Amino acid sequence: MPPLARVARLDRLLLPLHRWVWSDFDRRVRKILAFAEVESDGGRDILRAAEVTPDGLLRRLYLEHAIDELHHGDLFRQRGAALLRSRSTRLKTLFNGTPLPGGHGLDDLAVQDEPDYRLLAFLHIAEKAAAGRFTIYRDLVADDPQTHAIFEEILRDEVFHMNYTYTQLARVMPHAYRRQVWRARANRLGKRYLRVAAAIAGVFGATILTLIYFIVLPPFAWLAKRADRRTPPGWRPIPEARDDSPTRQY
Amino acid sequence: MKVLGISAHYHDSAAALLVDGVPVAAVQEERLSRHKNDAAFPASAIEWCLNDAGIEAADLDAVVFYERSMLKFERILTCALRAFPRSWRSFPHAMKNALAEKVWVRGVISSHLEVPRDKILFARHHESHAAAAFLAAPTKRAAILTADGVGEWATLTVGHGERRPDGRTDITLLREIRFPHSLGMLYSTFTAYLGFAVNEDEYKVMGLAAYGRPTMTELVRQVIRPAPDGAFALVPEYFEYQTTASRSYSSRFVELFGQPRNPYDPIDLDTTEGRRFADCAASVQRVLEDTLVEIARALHRETGLADLCFGGGVALNGVANARVLAESGFERLFVPSAPGDAGCALGAALYADRIYLGNPDRDVPDHPFWGPVVNTADLARAAREDDQDVTELEDGPMIERIADELARDHVVGWMDGATEFGPRALGHRSILAAPHSADMRDRLNRDIKYREEFRPFAPVVPIEAADRYFDLPAGGARLARFMSGVFPVRPEWRARLAAVTHVDGSARVQVLEREMAPRLHALLEAYGRRTGIPVLLNTSFNLSGEPIVTRALEGYSSFRRCGIDVLAAGPIVVSKRAASPGRPLKESATWGSERLVGSGAV
Repeated sequence: MPPLARVARLDRLLLPLHRWVWSDFDRRVRKILAFAEVESDGGRDILRAAEVTPDGLLRRLYLEHAIDELHHGDLFRQRGAALLRSRSTRLKTLFNGTPLPGGHGLDDLAVQDEPDYRLLAFLHIAEKAAAGRFTIYRDLVADDPQTHAIFEEILRDEVFHMNYTYTQLARVMPHAYRRQVWRARANRLGKRYLRVAAAIAGVFGATILTLIYFIVLPPFAWLAKRADRRTPPGWRPIPEARDDSPTRQY
Repeated sequence: MKVLGISAHYHDSAAALLVDGVPVAAVQEERLSRHKNDAAFPASAIEWCLNDAGIEAADLDAVVFYERSMLKFERILTCALRAFPRSWRSFPHAMKNALAEKVWVRGVISSHLEVPRDKILFARHHESHAAAAFLAAPTKRAAILTADGVGEWATLTVGHGERRPDGRTDITLLREIRFPHSLGMLYSTFTAYLGFAVNEDEYKVMGLAAYGRPTMTELVRQVIRPAPDGAFALVPEYFEYQTTASRSYSSRFVELFGQPRNPYDPIDLDTTEGRRFADCAASVQRVLEDTLVEIARALHRETGLADLCFGGGVALNGVANARVLAESGFERLFVPSAPGDAGCALGAALYADRIYLGNPDRDVPDHPFWGPVVNTADLARAAREDDQDVTELEDGPMIERIADELARDHVVGWMDGATEFGPRALGHRSILAAPHSADMRDRLNRDIKYREEFRPFAPVVPIEAADRYFDLPAGGARLARFMSGVFPVRPEWRARLAAVTHVDGSARVQVLEREMAPRLHALLEAYGRRTGIPVLLNTSFNLSGEPIVTRALEGYSSFRRCGIDVLAAGPIVVSKRAASPGRPLKESATWGSERLVGSGAV
């Protein structure tokens, strides 16, 4: 049994929501497959960190970490696929030809532009949050031994990731490592706010565009359809004298 | 005169730089950002091109974008209107997507590079493809064919090009087929139906096709029909890509072909379902080939020219290319190393230089190596820090050492000079191995590339020996220069080239001239001296889901993570030590965990 990670207060408050997500088969599969993408993306980002750091020890640790994350991605992917195969589900049609929305591994962090101490602080906070949440998920999938075992295995790795990022942060930034952790927490909070704000703006934007679609577009749609009906398929000659002004975007 | 070409925003963005009419640098953004098929504005690629040439953005005479973005926006809007009201879900997404950045590309370029707006030019998408195919090919006059998913409106164009004796250049596109009728979209739709990723895994459909029989061609011909004028038309009831971004085929398509494949299910060719998918792939492949051959044949009759230059993403289909060469009547077929959208960066720059700016024609060096050069010092330092076995050798002994390793069935990561521009590893960023046994193929698929077992590996052979092992038609060696054609392996060699011979006896061979990659050519000869067969398995140096490696440390991290035995870069050879430092590292790194319990860690 791996050591328990501390579960954040917010996640404890959201426990009913987590329970609701994991209690449904389709939602569970979707969540697992989304984790597969996020873990793989995160693994590739950490791999990038291994490739750009000038610090030999960090390079080896990042590489270990990246291999773990990519392995987690595979575990989730295989489990999601096995669950999909095990039962007829509407997800089968949802996923056809459409890669799952992944979300980028490290919150769109430009790894190559970040100094090691900032990356370590960020990774430490991210791993800690993930470990807390995975502890909840592990307990919620007790009815599914295989998924439960995956979370167990991943939690063991997360503990290593949390610890090495902290010890290495203390090594590379001996006088200010605590400040870096707090800064990473603040950044994470700021990014969360931006994500929520962007999502709300996205909903507003989509609503306005949908209204425009139904209110403004119908006459133009009628004209476009009529023009389309009059256009036979086949070759279209390209006129020699078409406007070829190189500065035009049209 | 300095001209920068840019392709971006849809898939596989890139930048290319011409100085006085000759390419000096070109690289895909994914090779620098390390995000596969990166479609973002290629800021890193541009920066690298300018740095490599030692110039500032202010020195540029023109910056050329590879398509006319407002014309593309017009097509997206018109298609949404035509599909009203079924397009109501996709409309907000499409508009947000286009209006966020894509239609403001002039401003985006201007603000990134701080160049005056009047220096920013626009080529049409298929003009960029045509220029990449024709102006980079060693031919004076040629017919031109371009085909992809879609550009602005065009999906396929035909025309011709000419380099005049007075130095002027003409590219004339005669006619086009317009969206939604598209060979690229047809193939992509089947790619999605077969459970692969669109715009990425089309080559898997081609690989799978060899396992099937084209028993469903009549069904495929129900969804793509000939037009009276010799073109083709897709039947819209079977497709949804023109109305939604979430699915490219319709329910009628599923009624016709059966249930689509779940992407998470492996393809088992021993099952009826697995064979159905293989037959489906074989059928769409056959129809694609037939259609292309017909169009190319008509173009040959019309132009009477001996050479054909073929560009666009469809030109990555090596099986179709081989049939076009064999059956269209053209004597030579030129496909650039980057026929897809990334290559449009180079094409747009060439088009602007020769056509818009009227500069005299210059020969474009006939190789694909326009990207960053490998820094071997980085590799040696990192490998020594990790206590790996590092050796530094002169060129001759180095080649002999690697040939020995390959002859011992070791797998070699090979990095040499500048990266390739385009999706193929053509000898500068390759994984090399002995081509003789099927076990090697399985080992590479299982331990190194982590990919489906039905996918074949490609061979590389010196041009002097190519005809001995491969049944190349006239013009075949040229097509195989950038690995753009699939040709039969001679029957008597198939058993001894089992790792690179596909199930149908074919191979996507690279025919190598010494001048293009002298060190790899020397390695092939050295390997031939040991085994009697100067052929190597050559696959791209990347792991599943990652772009091909660019820098030494990317090659090194791939080497550390998979079953590659030896890594060679310039004079440096790194051999993998048997013991992995994995666990001990983990243990040593957690030494302070108890101390840190109260400090935020566990």
